Amino acid sequence: MSNIDRRTLVKGSLAAMMAGAAFSRAAFAQSSEPILLGVSGPLTGPNAQYGAQWKQGFDLALDEIHAAGGINGRKLAYQFEDSQSDPRQSVAIAQKFVSDPRIVMELGDFSSPASMAASPIYQRGGLVQFGFTNSHPDFTKGGDFMWSTSVSQADEQPLLASYAVKRLGLKKLAVLHLNTDWGRTSRDHFVKAAKEYGAEIAVTEGYIAEERDFRSTLVRVRDANPDGLILISYYSDGALIARQARQVGLKQTICAASSVYSPKFLELGGEAVEDVHLGTRYFPEDPRPEVKKFIAGFKAKYNGQEPDAFNAYSYDAMNMAAAVLKIGGIDRRTIRDAFAKVKDVSSVIFGQATFDVESRRVKGAMNAELVVRKGQFALWDGKPT
Amino acid sequence: MSSWLDYTINGLIVGNVYALVAVGLALIFGVSRLINFAQGSIYLVGAYIGWVAVVQLHTPLPLTIIVVAAAAALVGLIIERFGLRPLQNSVRIAPLLATIGISFVLDQLVMLTFSPNPRALPSQLPDVRFQLGGGTIGPLDLLIAGVGITSALLLFVFLRYSKLGWAVRAASQDRDAAMQMGVDVNRVNQAVFGIAAALGGVSGMLVGMYYNQIDTAMSLQATLKGVVAEVVGGAGNVPGAVIGSLLLGLVESYGVAVFGTSYRNLFAFLLLVVVLVLRPNGLFASARQAPPEPLTGTFIAPSRPVRIPRWALAVAAAGFAILPLFPVSFYVLQTLINAWLLGMLALSLTLVAGTIGQVSLGHAALLAIGAYTSALLSLALSVPVGLAVIGGGLMSAALGTLLISPSFRLRGHYVSIATLAIGEIVSLVILNWESVTRGPIGISGIPPLSLFGYDLISPSSVYWFSLAVIVVLALLQGRLLTSHLGRSFRAIRDDDIAARAYGLSLNRYKSLAFIFGGFAAGVSGGIAAHLYSYINHETFNTQQSILALTVVILGGLGNVVGAIVGSVALVGLPEVFRIAAEYRILIYGIVLLLLVRFRPQGLLGTI
Repeated sequence: MSNIDRRTLVKGSLAAMMAGAAFSRAAFAQSSEPILLGVSGPLTGPNAQYGAQWKQGFDLALDEIHAAGGINGRKLAYQFEDSQSDPRQSVAIAQKFVSDPRIVMELGDFSSPASMAASPIYQRGGLVQFGFTNSHPDFTKGGDFMWSTSVSQADEQPLLASYAVKRLGLKKLAVLHLNTDWGRTSRDHFVKAAKEYGAEIAVTEGYIAEERDFRSTLVRVRDANPDGLILISYYSDGALIARQARQVGLKQTICAASSVYSPKFLELGGEAVEDVHLGTRYFPEDPRPEVKKFIAGFKAKYNGQEPDAFNAYSYDAMNMAAAVLKIGGIDRRTIRDAFAKVKDVSSVIFGQATFDVESRRVKGAMNAELVVRKGQFALWDGKPT
Repeated sequence: MSSWLDYTINGLIVGNVYALVAVGLALIFGVSRLINFAQGSIYLVGAYIGWVAVVQLHTPLPLTIIVVAAAAALVGLIIERFGLRPLQNSVRIAPLLATIGISFVLDQLVMLTFSPNPRALPSQLPDVRFQLGGGTIGPLDLLIAGVGITSALLLFVFLRYSKLGWAVRAASQDRDAAMQMGVDVNRVNQAVFGIAAALGGVSGMLVGMYYNQIDTAMSLQATLKGVVAEVVGGAGNVPGAVIGSLLLGLVESYGVAVFGTSYRNLFAFLLLVVVLVLRPNGLFASARQAPPEPLTGTFIAPSRPVRIPRWALAVAAAGFAILPLFPVSFYVLQTLINAWLLGMLALSLTLVAGTIGQVSLGHAALLAIGAYTSALLSLALSVPVGLAVIGGGLMSAALGTLLISPSFRLRGHYVSIATLAIGEIVSLVILNWESVTRGPIGISGIPPLSLFGYDLISPSSVYWFSLAVIVVLALLQGRLLTSHLGRSFRAIRDDDIAARAYGLSLNRYKSLAFIFGGFAAGVSGGIAAHLYSYINHETFNTQQSILALTVVILGGLGNVVGAIVGSVALVGLPEVFRIAAEYRILIYGIVLLLLVRFRPQGLLGTI
């Protein structure tokens, strides 16, 4: 939204609403107009924070893309439509994007119900739905227009299990997970991998996203007598669990999924998240040039704020979109075909991202083993906590 | 054994947190017989004012509490003066809807001011921990308990022994009589809203400090749990609200202990339903208390419904039917499909809420039952989609009526709260019954709509299909309303005692209404499932139920055409406001408030 002026937007929305397909086609002919991506995501409602983080990542990537000359000389912009992560709204947005000829590709939505409800419309309408946070194993099965750079949990969870079991030497684990499609899939992959590495799963507990009180859950965990806690959580619930674990007297090692990787996790968790271990895809002192550029650029643009995992996903997604458009042009079908052709796109999450044409996902996420030391994320030095 | 002590302590600790919201809700309910859905938003406002005070202004704790209480009280006074007082002579249901609109507006204002990112709200109390059982508690636990219990006691004494307290109680029992005795009812309401809001604000701040976390999503959850606790304790009963909260905390904690974390809220809502069925006035209601007044019935102002001539309706239907033949965009068609789907739900709700007077706040559960039934029938048993959708409608009719039947003996607000709880229970059962519903993973790959072997894929065909379904349902319901059965329904709504004296079996007629309504809602859910191809337990949520009720009240209770007009309006408005991006829900809330203010009987009036 912030990248196109309001009048263009009003004109565009009116055009879409008033059946002015022909009208906007005329507008599109002027190549001085930016190439337009549609974004469907939450700007209001319970998931609004993630939509706000997406925007930060998108805007940073766009600045860099434009500084480097844009897409073959043309500017790139996005039109962010608020879906509130509600399938009823995401399907309407999908029809809106599909019937708006200026939109060449779609990004999002955030939640699985909203994203996957819209997939049939994008598939039939022949518009790429690029779901960069959609880890649901069935997302890309919606059709050959569904592509995702979301890290597959089949890839990520064995890395976390290896960190917890092989590197930290934990033998008996309690797994706390968000009871969503993401949390559930992650848990299953984690449990499978941890058992393969020889650990025992003492207890698994699923909690709903709105939950804030975990004390009774943690008593259950305590009674199962584990030597480590695994958190398959986002940063806000992860911080709550860590705090309450310390309050009910649990002193075991805590190991968390990469989704807690956010400065907010440190802010919300305070002293309780000290010594929490987490596997991530990048870290602050990462020597990789793409990471250095991302972190430095982000801090410069947003008053010194540290980027988090969701910022990185959306930054990568916009860069991937640019790379695809550079070889796919602005035709919706050639854009789809270009997803199979892009090679080794520089990426914070993957290092070099190339799609696996079969699964329409990217494999081989980077891995860094971090620990919270003195209120900061630091690379784990191998010392026990 | 020691674990049970810990579960008990933890239950009391979280009950303590619920009590803060419940007391404020109870106070307002006691005076104005209103479930204040904006209480959670005041709690949110309090938390963020607390954040500004603590993090930006570095105020010490006592000053922080005073600042937050004063600011929240001011918000409460503004709500009372400009949001609710203009509605005091309108229908009883209008203030309820107004509080929902106010909560939209407040939540959005906070979100726009502070961004939706969660923030840390550091506690200003010394960080010492006391060993208690296997765990520890901190000074904040004690402060929260102190504030909860002290405020409940103070309010109790205030209501019983002070002159203003008498006035409050007099106004709650009989407003007109109180006014005749010289009680300034407006001042009473002001006092109550100010006190309740101050309490709500302080509780939001304390709970924020307790978890060291505040975010804009905390408001709805606080309201939900607060309402449950309040009703368990006896609506309007302030000390009862505290005990109800502690009981709720304990039941949740023991539920987690025995069955696991994912069953937690299931126990909270089951407790509510059990209490409502066994002791409809709450555990601690005194026998002398006047029976709860029906929310609708005599409280629906006799309004003259707008009569729309049949030819106009026929022309409108024909106009919508030929719409896809014109070059309208698929986006417009999809938006209208959404409106037809919501319209089916609204037809269902306008029948049970408007015609027979059972205001349901859990209607999305009927969508979910229909959607899952239809999806599973077509996927697992390969039933043709057209039949599967009808199967979804039938299952929704049967199961919905069965689930709701324990609440048939309830009246007024209690029906709404029971149905709210039943709606949550259905959603939690879907989440936990993994062998059938696949739990949080949801059901994907649901086949698209088809009829007699032809797939309905293009937006136009789905549009015609859903339009045809809603027209048939609307005609049936219109016929029903003019029949003998429809008159019996309205008789029960307007005066159930008279209806009973006349020989009408209330339960049978309520069942009939829910069977018909359940079918319409189930069909809507079934169509949605095939349209989306993927559903999970979050697809049909509480917001849908609230939206449906808004549609029904907006269109006019019991009004068939009104339900459809309301659906088009409420699906269309947020789409029209898309240009406003982050501001659109704020604008939507304000429009809603204006509608309630100036047309409380609904656009087309009550039938």
